[in-house]
Amino acid sequence: MPPSFAGRWTPFWLSLPMLLIVALFFYIPVYLSFWWSFTLERPFGGGSEFVGFQNYARVLSDPIFWDAAWRTLVFMVFGSTLAIIVPLILALAADRMVPLSHTARNVLIWPKGIAGASIGVVFAFIFNPFVGIMAPLNGLFPGLWNPGSDGTDAFIMLLIAHVWNGIPFNFVILLAGLQAVPRSLTQAAAIDGASPWRRIRDVQLPMIAPQLFLTFVLEFTESVVSAFALIDTMTQGGPGGATRLLVYKIYQDGFKGYDLSGAATQSAILMVFVLCLAAFQFLYLEKKVRYER
Amino acid sequence: MQATIGAEIRLDALTKSYGDNLVLPGLDATLGAGEFTVILGPSGCGKSTLLNLLAGLERVTSGRILMNGREVQGLAPRDRGVAMVFQNYALYPHMTVAENIGYALKIAGVPRAERDRRIAEAARTVALGDYLTRRPGELSGGQRQRVAIARAIVREPSVMLFDEPLSNLDAQLRHGTRMELAALHRRIGASSIFVTHDQVEAMTLADRILILNKGRIEQFDTPEAIYRRPASTFVAGFIGAPPMNLLDAIAESGRVRLASGTVLAGTGANGPVTLGIRPETIHLNDVGEPVVVDYVEDLGGHHVLAAHLEDGQSLRIVTPPDRRPEPGERLHVSFAGASVHLFDAITGRRLADPAPIRSEGVPA
Repeated sequence: MPPSFAGRWTPFWLSLPMLLIVALFFYIPVYLSFWWSFTLERPFGGGSEFVGFQNYARVLSDPIFWDAAWRTLVFMVFGSTLAIIVPLILALAADRMVPLSHTARNVLIWPKGIAGASIGVVFAFIFNPFVGIMAPLNGLFPGLWNPGSDGTDAFIMLLIAHVWNGIPFNFVILLAGLQAVPRSLTQAAAIDGASPWRRIRDVQLPMIAPQLFLTFVLEFTESVVSAFALIDTMTQGGPGGATRLLVYKIYQDGFKGYDLSGAATQSAILMVFVLCLAAFQFLYLEKKVRYER
Repeated sequence: MQATIGAEIRLDALTKSYGDNLVLPGLDATLGAGEFTVILGPSGCGKSTLLNLLAGLERVTSGRILMNGREVQGLAPRDRGVAMVFQNYALYPHMTVAENIGYALKIAGVPRAERDRRIAEAARTVALGDYLTRRPGELSGGQRQRVAIARAIVREPSVMLFDEPLSNLDAQLRHGTRMELAALHRRIGASSIFVTHDQVEAMTLADRILILNKGRIEQFDTPEAIYRRPASTFVAGFIGAPPMNLLDAIAESGRVRLASGTVLAGTGANGPVTLGIRPETIHLNDVGEPVVVDYVEDLGGHHVLAAHLEDGQSLRIVTPPDRRPEPGERLHVSFAGASVHLFDAITGRRLADPAPIRSEGVPA
């Protein structure tokens, strides 16, 4: 018999604080955002007007929206792929006990304790064309690296900062997965004649499919919604909109441009996109993941 | 299954240490081609380490391993022609039974048709034919064990390594699998090396048993020789169920006596010795050495008594089932006609055979 509570309402009261928080900071904003996307909001208050799908028509016909959406997609694909592959390589190395892997395990987790905005500030310094690590190269080939004026450079800088930010968590998850693979399995594969690369491909990666799936799902969402702090501290969407991802454009439109309805509409579109992405991952990809050991 | 040619394995001053911890201080042995060798020893004696060195899963610290005269200690596992059955089976959970068995062939680039034929043949050898499309998770422990064995034999290895493969099976299955393994070994002809801590497995399976103690070879001989002429007190106390009794005794003027003065055997040795007596060769009488029964195990066909002598030394005795002694009961035992072994009290090594006594206290 499952454990039961004395009073019928006790479970409700116990979970109420959390429910309130979730409602206040998630469901109500989501609801309001959708509601505003169908109205014309006045920037300084004072009533709103229902306009149906006019906001959507306006946003979807705006080339700047499509430009930001495209950049978001590119960032999502490259950012999350790299933010999984780099920690995966590190985790495979740490699992194989290469020299210094104990130290590396510690060091690699530290960045988790740094806020996105701080990372942005630090990386803006590191990649500064005049005093950063690329400065000597710029001395040899003037103008080679300048994220302040070159959109591609800025986008690459943003990607690097994002991937670096994603290393600790994904590294820990993937390393935990690798460590849980029984050692005798890789030994058996070695006796069966598999080279180290073959063992990774045929034994280790299939065995950590659940961990890869988890990092994949989280990383895709993360890359779409949480690049904001990095963009805001490093590039503010520039130069020339090269790093203006949707999440930053929403902020610019809403809080700089006072186009509340347009920002709400884009938020709604972004939310639906992320939702579809997660649904696809869980409904389609998860079926291919085997949890049995 | 096609018979393969087993390799002769020679260990030459083989050592293994982990940091300062010397696990194998230096092994020299020759394991015959096609022989079934059981490596027997308690936990931590280095037997699994030795197996891993043979497999190539761990690097030797110094010394050589020769297989058919070829030095292999520097080679990767795949270049040694060895196959291994792991204690926990180590099957790939994401592959079917057929894929598990055929993985080595796939890596070796064996063509599809031949691969399928050999997989089917190996599966038939271990009576697994119906399960080829299942995954290991859907099989019982015994079936997984068969997959692990099929995966080893499909490569037609010249050396088969077994790392306590029966320890995860229940008693009944273990007995059946033991007989099948012995038959399989005869059929495939590979040299088999089988690591275990179970002396019954060792006695029943081995052509020769290599007994390891703290990384050193205590004895390497046939099961019969090990049972009849244990080379040391360690071997004597390890083999047999119940194991041999080891008593502190004194050898002087041609006789071995207990502290009570009872003469047990004639000998040429002098000074303190350890005397070994098999429990099943001691019998009860009315006038012999007095003992007090501590505990009785009734095994149906016979009783095993745990008792102690007057000087407190413990003694195991196997008695016929007709009378069941009670704990606390005082009995007399005779060592007349018992198989006695003499060991050096300090080194534990076997001494020259003592002369058994014919009747109470009279050496032959």
